[in-house]
Amino acid sequence: MAKKPISFMLNGRKVETLVEPRELLIHVIREQLNQTGSHIGCETSHCGACTVDLNGRSVKSCTVLAVQAEGGTVLTVEGLPKNGTLHPLQEAFTQEHGLQCGYCTPGMLVRAYRFLQENPNPTEEQIRFGMSGNLCRCTGYMNIVKAVQSAAKKMQAAGGK
Amino acid sequence: MLVKLEKTFPIDAPADVAWSLLQDIQSVAACMPGAQITERVDDRHYQGQVGVRMGPASVTFKGTIEVQSVDATQRQLRLVGKGADTAGTSSASMDLTASIRSTADGKAELTGLSEVTVNGKLVSFGGRLMGQVSDQILTQFGENFAQRVLAQGQGATAQQAAASVAAQPREINALAFLWRVVVGFFKSLFGGKKPRSAG
Amino acid sequence: MATTAEAVEREQKLQGVGCSRRRKEDARFIQGKGTYVDDIKLPGMLFGSIVRSPYAHARIKSINKAKALAVPGVVAVLTADDLKPVNLHWMPTLGGDVQAVLADKKVCFQMQEVAMVLATDRYAAADGVAQVEVEYDELPAIVDPHKSMAPGAPVIREDIADKKEVGHGPRTHPNHIFTWEAGDKAGTDAVFANAPVTVREEILNPRVHPCPMETCGCVASFDKVAGQLTVYLTSQAPHLVRTVVAMLSGIPESKIRLVGGDIGGGFGNKVPVYPGYVVAIVASIVTGVPIKWIESRIENLSTTGFARDYHGIGELAADKDGRIQALRFTALADHGAFNSHVSATKFPAGLFSICTGSYAIPKAYCRVDAVYTNKAPGGVAYRCSLRVTEAVYLIERMIDILAQKLNIDKAEIRRRNFVKAEQFPYTTALGWTLDSGNYRAALDKVLKAVNYEALRKEQAEKRARGELMGIGISTFTEIVGAGPNKACDILGISLFDSCDIRVNPTGSAIARLGTMSQGQGHATTYAQIIATELGLSSDEIQIEEGDTDKAPYGAGTWGSRSTPVGGAAAAVAARKVKAKAQKIAAHLLEVAEGDLEWDVDRFKVKGNPSQAKTMKEIAMAAHTSNIPDGMEKGLDGSEYYDPPNMTYPFGAYLCVVDIDRFTGETKVRRFYALDDCGTRINPMIIEGQIHGGLTEAYAVAMGQQLVFDSGGNILSNSLMDYFVPTAVETPKWETDYTVTPSPHHPIGAKGVAESPHVGGIPCFSNAVVDAFAHLGVTHMDMPHSAFNVWKTIHKLGLDKHA
Repeated sequence: MAKKPISFMLNGRKVETLVEPRELLIHVIREQLNQTGSHIGCETSHCGACTVDLNGRSVKSCTVLAVQAEGGTVLTVEGLPKNGTLHPLQEAFTQEHGLQCGYCTPGMLVRAYRFLQENPNPTEEQIRFGMSGNLCRCTGYMNIVKAVQSAAKKMQAAGGK
Repeated sequence: MLVKLEKTFPIDAPADVAWSLLQDIQSVAACMPGAQITERVDDRHYQGQVGVRMGPASVTFKGTIEVQSVDATQRQLRLVGKGADTAGTSSASMDLTASIRSTADGKAELTGLSEVTVNGKLVSFGGRLMGQVSDQILTQFGENFAQRVLAQGQGATAQQAAASVAAQPREINALAFLWRVVVGFFKSLFGGKKPRSAG
Repeated sequence: MATTAEAVEREQKLQGVGCSRRRKEDARFIQGKGTYVDDIKLPGMLFGSIVRSPYAHARIKSINKAKALAVPGVVAVLTADDLKPVNLHWMPTLGGDVQAVLADKKVCFQMQEVAMVLATDRYAAADGVAQVEVEYDELPAIVDPHKSMAPGAPVIREDIADKKEVGHGPRTHPNHIFTWEAGDKAGTDAVFANAPVTVREEILNPRVHPCPMETCGCVASFDKVAGQLTVYLTSQAPHLVRTVVAMLSGIPESKIRLVGGDIGGGFGNKVPVYPGYVVAIVASIVTGVPIKWIESRIENLSTTGFARDYHGIGELAADKDGRIQALRFTALADHGAFNSHVSATKFPAGLFSICTGSYAIPKAYCRVDAVYTNKAPGGVAYRCSLRVTEAVYLIERMIDILAQKLNIDKAEIRRRNFVKAEQFPYTTALGWTLDSGNYRAALDKVLKAVNYEALRKEQAEKRARGELMGIGISTFTEIVGAGPNKACDILGISLFDSCDIRVNPTGSAIARLGTMSQGQGHATTYAQIIATELGLSSDEIQIEEGDTDKAPYGAGTWGSRSTPVGGAAAAVAARKVKAKAQKIAAHLLEVAEGDLEWDVDRFKVKGNPSQAKTMKEIAMAAHTSNIPDGMEKGLDGSEYYDPPNMTYPFGAYLCVVDIDRFTGETKVRRFYALDDCGTRINPMIIEGQIHGGLTEAYAVAMGQQLVFDSGGNILSNSLMDYFVPTAVETPKWETDYTVTPSPHHPIGAKGVAESPHVGGIPCFSNAVVDAFAHLGVTHMDMPHSAFNVWKTIHKLGLDKHA
């Protein structure tokens, strides 16, 4: 299959690469663009380990063709810190012990990021529902919920960034 | 995975006409959507193939058909088909007993009783659809057969039937069958017309 | 123990044992900078994808590679014939059997490995797999283990047809693997014959799968020039695998390096040596380039270590007060087509004989018959402590069944049967010596916390109104920490574990161990153990595991053995360091060793506390001439620890469920989990483990099952069908604890991470059955999906409107 050039913004930087039309965004991010923070946990779009932020929405990058990112803006876990400072969600996840093996964590963080943009003051039930597209086997979710709640509080206090 | 089906189709012709078509194995095979006889080994053994398409993926099953018994008094035919796809990822075998019966109004009905066993990839990924899609395939078979019998007659109806026989697709389009299953389901929910086949 | 306020402050600064300190490993995970196997990229690396059998049982007539080799990007296609010259088309398993690496002549389970396509990228490899043409002749498949040993049953394992035994005693049928028994059969039978009360039930542990978020995989890289093999892989036991690879490949073990980096969850799924690893290694040796093999989720669920598939019959004999006199458990174990899971030589059925549970049962007998079927190989996995999930499920269900038969309250019957606190250490009728426990105190604490009487009262009221409410209790005893030399070994290798500590001149330390974290927090908890022993801050103690070039030999992390064995090794190694430090301190302070006492982070002179040397000062001195004559420089300590016994954590769990009598949907209203794992190293990490284990227990009890049709086709091998709970349906967990230290462990700690899974599953099950107990239901098999529960509801006619 002939490769197509695509370019998009990845974590604030413009990237350009050649992809086959059938290549998935997750593979291009991980292998061609060397951002291995986003992970692959299934091939049926259930687990959410591949969750990235595309044009302001959470997407499962295992079910997005790379060409669909053309001209767009992608945010992955590597793009969460600002000027070397961790995002409040990243701090909260470690403070509240919301991770163990770390495999689902990037997807959880990127999803939580968009979720809190959409709903800055969520109830616990809303958090559980809003994060239901991300599976975890290690934590049992309780501390993940606590982490999102803690980050939400901090971000509200700081003026919602 | 084993699927058992029984269906009856009304035939708009006398039993003798229907029975004579039933013994023409080449034509009977052609009634199975997407199937064709590729070689006649002898009058009991045939080689055939069935094309199946599911969206962009397509698979060709190649196999053998054996006519196990032909009973003229009962007007009953039993045949066994066995096949596997050319890449070796799925296999299917079918045991089909087809019989023609006279109905009170001088016409006939075709009853098909089939047991289909499928193994391999088709089951792992399509298992939950197997029953309904097989049901649709057998329904299509019956409708095709009825059309063929009609096409053997004279007049406008026969010509129409002959045209529809010629227009039958060369392969099973699984998604189209699936769509029919969905449509059928909603129709039955809202008390729509009962399907032409009984049972 | 620090006594003064100043000492307490110094102790807190160490963040040692008992401190809920943040985890040291989090930094890389929250930034997406972990190194999991699929993150590894080596120059020239090829991608391997496996061609798999679509049939459960078939002969291979031919394999045609031509079309696949013509696909652009495909470099090679390997089949069994390519592995024959190096005799690697079959490999020994950790269970004493042999397993086909790539199928030769026949396949024995659906999705079995038949060929591997090597290509320049994963897309080309997938294209290649689709073009490999294999011709099969189907054979009848055995899916029901009860049919495996029928006369005339199809022979699955023709390769061992004439073998009289496969590692564990005589075989009575070609599809028979082993029969294992423990206890006093004659004595037990005699008690049953005369008992006032007996109960019997058929109890199923369905086939399920651990499904960690990361699937299995490896990158194998053979350096032709140096003759050195490096394999990055998802393995819970890198050293054991390295030894197996050395035996298989003929490469000296000293030239093999296995690296377990970051692993995305193991849960027992990443212990066996899978064919994918072996083919990747051979491919790398043959091609001279690195080979990456990463399985898909469907491959993971279909072919790697499944769990359970135990068809049990439980029997209890008791007096009319519910005091159990004898226990008789038998189980038919479906191991799939190969006996591939980890198996201690003397315990092919794992630690199933812990099935006497928390109860003082005078006579017991258990027997396990293991058979082959045309399904994926495995059986021991999924947080099971080696079949303890199966054992505890049986006893906790059976005691509820006994309680129902005698109309005795389910908490009361347990109290009547508990091993009493003063009876420890207690040797069970099946030979295990429980080290310590206080079951009564644990249960009482839970019942008080949930107001048990009020719950039973509420249940009675609800029952009168036709509502379904269930209360489940589980008082379990676990057995973890494999294991003592005299009791267990794997392929002959003892299950010790090790710790190597080096203290630097500037007072920080590095410790390397033979265990392998897959998320359990070892980088933090081992540092905490050593911090408390040595008086150095856990922030300054680096923990390393998983690189077999650096870490001392160990048996890895499975069966909750890290704290009991690795943690013990760490403490003992640290004490060796401390003993040497004491000598140096005495030398520096010019006193006798006996004149010194330890105070949190320093040695003080007794009666003259201002005369002290901190561990940091001693560390520097150890590298100078300031040490006793004749003493070696440096401050190191190393220990290969052989545990004297297993450890026996325990717990009391209580679950309240409300079941919708029209849909069968079960809501978990409350789950209260009390765990006792002895000394608690990091309470935050323990709590996290409990949450995770309970969630996996919830999954198993309420919805997970690997389903097969009668042709051996697997029907539930993707996340479309295999139930993994999301944040929405996962209940909220309440955790509590008691502390009953282990008398034989250096810091009194026991393992804990598998307890919530082992104890949780029967708790949920007991709750669901309890909801129907008043209607005469004694048992319902898992999974308790809404549909399955509804079937019971429908049979009882409860879903009819009045």
